[in-house]
Amino acid sequence: MLTKVHHVGIVVHSADEALKFYRDALGLPVTADQVIEDQGVRGILLQIGGSEIELLEPTRNDTGVARFLESRGEGMHHICFESDDVDKELEAARAKGIELIDEKPRPGLAGMVCFLHPKSNHGVLIEFATPIAGSH
Amino acid sequence: MGIGATHIDHIVIQSNDSAATAKLFADQYGIEIKRTMSRPGTRAHLEFAKLQEVIVEFAGPGEVQPYDEVKARLGGFVLAVDDIHAAVTSLRESGWDVGEPHPAVQPGALITGVRGRTNGVPLALIQYNARPLEENSQ
Repeated sequence: MLTKVHHVGIVVHSADEALKFYRDALGLPVTADQVIEDQGVRGILLQIGGSEIELLEPTRNDTGVARFLESRGEGMHHICFESDDVDKELEAARAKGIELIDEKPRPGLAGMVCFLHPKSNHGVLIEFATPIAGSH
Repeated sequence: MGIGATHIDHIVIQSNDSAATAKLFADQYGIEIKRTMSRPGTRAHLEFAKLQEVIVEFAGPGEVQPYDEVKARLGGFVLAVDDIHAAVTSLRESGWDVGEPHPAVQPGALITGVRGRTNGVPLALIQYNARPLEENSQ
């Protein structure tokens, strides 16, 4: 069951520049900041209430995030819904014939995550996440 | 520093057929649509879901054409703040261009937009139970 909006993902040219707005001007605390090598991104989570804003800066040019940035420019990239069981959500999506990007959940900044293809969502990229206990 | 933002109030999903997109999210993901309305003064068709504190707003035209393909995209988000006037002042002092707060569709609420330098994200601020504008100007 999807319980809440975990975060909205924003693709940016420079995470350091974006932090000047989201962290410094808005005053949102950074809860995670790391380079995810296999995804080719630097991801930053900033907390706001019970949700977060995720800034994504590509660290190389051969990734989906880099292609998004090149073709569309900076902007909102995806919406992530939190679930207490991402495996179950993924299986339910598969059973409904929803096109998947990730065939099984994988570790991500928000915990165990998986992405569903925009083709199955009228063009909206959707992520499911189950935070890992003890993480941020 | 900061603007006293308490939570994401709502996230907008723009669609050329907002009813169809809302139905898709409901059917595929069990996201319950709680409210449907036409935006006052416009013919926009809006549908709303709420997951805890965050509203997901599906927004589209009032008259839907027979589209070959329904297309939707993330259209921005709105942050709730404790004091919209203080938030506007803070952002302006930090160099951001922010509009004047004005009455929102929601009764008793004031809303305004941040104009640019938000990394391509249409972003607004809203305060519920705001003091009336004339009171603030005194």
